[in-house]
Amino acid sequence: MGIRFKNVTHEYPSYSKKTYKAIQGINLNIGTDDEYIALIGHTGSGKSTLAKHMNALIFPTLGEVEIFGNNIKSKRDKNINYNNIRKRVGLVFQFPEYQLFEETVEKDIMFGPMNFKKSEEEAKKLALEAIHLVGLDETYLKRNPFNLSGGEKKRVSIAGILAIDPEILVLDEPTSGLDPEGKQTLMDLFSDIHKKTGKSIIIITHDMDLVYRYFKRVVVMKDGRISFDGTPDELFKSDIIEENHLDLPNTIKVLSYIKDKFNLDINIYQKIAEEAVQEINRVMEYE
Amino acid sequence: MNSIIIGQYIPGKGFFYKLDPRTKILSILFLMISVFLLENITQLAIAIGIAIIILIIGKISILKVLKGLKPIFVLLIFTFIFQVALNSEGAILSSALLHFNIFSVLTSIVIFIIWRLLLQIGKFKILLFFIFVLALYFNFRYLSIGQDFYSFRLTIYEKGVEMSIFVVLRLLIIITLTTILTLTTKPTDLTQGMESLMHPLKKIGFNSEDFALIISISLRYIPTIFDEAQKIMAAQASRGADFSEGKLKDKMKQIISLLVPMFIIAFIRSEELADAMESRNFVPGEKRTRINILRFSMIDVYSAVFITLCFIGTILLRVMT
Repeated sequence: MGIRFKNVTHEYPSYSKKTYKAIQGINLNIGTDDEYIALIGHTGSGKSTLAKHMNALIFPTLGEVEIFGNNIKSKRDKNINYNNIRKRVGLVFQFPEYQLFEETVEKDIMFGPMNFKKSEEEAKKLALEAIHLVGLDETYLKRNPFNLSGGEKKRVSIAGILAIDPEILVLDEPTSGLDPEGKQTLMDLFSDIHKKTGKSIIIITHDMDLVYRYFKRVVVMKDGRISFDGTPDELFKSDIIEENHLDLPNTIKVLSYIKDKFNLDINIYQKIAEEAVQEINRVMEYE
Repeated sequence: MNSIIIGQYIPGKGFFYKLDPRTKILSILFLMISVFLLENITQLAIAIGIAIIILIIGKISILKVLKGLKPIFVLLIFTFIFQVALNSEGAILSSALLHFNIFSVLTSIVIFIIWRLLLQIGKFKILLFFIFVLALYFNFRYLSIGQDFYSFRLTIYEKGVEMSIFVVLRLLIIITLTTILTLTTKPTDLTQGMESLMHPLKKIGFNSEDFALIISISLRYIPTIFDEAQKIMAAQASRGADFSEGKLKDKMKQIISLLVPMFIIAFIRSEELADAMESRNFVPGEKRTRINILRFSMIDVYSAVFITLCFIGTILLRVMT
């Protein structure tokens, strides 16, 4: 169950004769629960295309995507209820603020649940829960979404997907354009949802600090192919980082600099800044 | 939606890419006027020949143009059918009594279902449509079992067929011509050409520069807005508003969920563009210099001569007959 990519290739049409392969030969399994995956890679490496396959927004040119037992192939299949797939796999886009259209935040959050045949009272309840989940209070419900700040809009639109209560949550760069505090709040929120409900969450990000600190599994994309699939610890200890033009987390960068400079016996693999400080203190005292 | 070629520039090399946009615009204009001056099918056939020769000279694949015509195909078919059915001049070509009785109506439903099923194959859609129409015709023509509750005499006149072919061909040629223009001319060149052509109108108070700017900005933003629309559609589909599913009532709401963000994006974009232009010291109405200055070359002279000959030819044809 969950999402299973079987040798998936997606080509975008192009006016020159060659078609452009955004992703090719992708094999990937994503479980229904307890997955917390970071999808990373260079710009144009096919991350967003991969994400769009996860709730059948686009169909593979070759191969097959199995989503909760539905086989998605290159052609639209009348026997598959695509809306149902989108209820079970929620996808938040990179600029979700563009999808707001109602006159109040509440109505906008209710749009999703109502589309999935929830009654108005139920949708209202879900909207209230969702707005709390994203760390805003209920006074926001009556406000106009277009008068919110960028970060607030982003949270409201994420609430719009959370209200649908999908079984798997896919987010395309949810933290881009947010200040460090907003990033932290959102990431804590996702970790929280993941811990409380055990739902699988897949997040596309460029922030290696976040990858190292929060995630259980990392999938690295390069030129439309998966070049690494494993835990963050494995990733940052391997040489794959340089091959894929990826950055190291700041903690590792700083600690390895200190290690080389002062020739200390220090464990550079620390996930959080505070832990790194502790490690430095420990080594200093020891010395 | 990617098959829409009209209004799309495709980079390439060839005769038309080297032509000055002013020559191209004027040539196409005069060719279109010529096409409207033509009076009968033989003349139109010659015009089609010329259009094909133009395509060959420009090394533009005819198939590509035909593919681009796809969205207009429905329009052409309707024009054809209406012309055939409504025109009642000239000799009667065929006259058929169509029988509507319970039996024929039932079989027509069966034919309809078979047609819809065959469409699932996904190929030969247009061919299948014609077969469907023909089958319906024969069905109502010959199945006269039982009591007719309604009958209809379908008469096709010679002039009707002639006119319908004429109109459709004329539309085809005109669309092909304009497609050549937009296919081989960058929107910026096109507007620069128009600006230059309309420059004399400044004397009567028409500012061609502003006009050209408006046109070029709107052309520039068609693909961008189109892109944004697709993104918003995907985002709303993720919230359960699939634009290819659902009832009419749901569709209304879905369209609103697309339109509101579209307007907002358009406003944001235009504000950003205005800021970007001002920060690069753009002042409306001020004299501007250009990187590419339009120059006529020898091939422009050749094509001008060719077009003039075509134009004079059609005028002579019109006057003589």
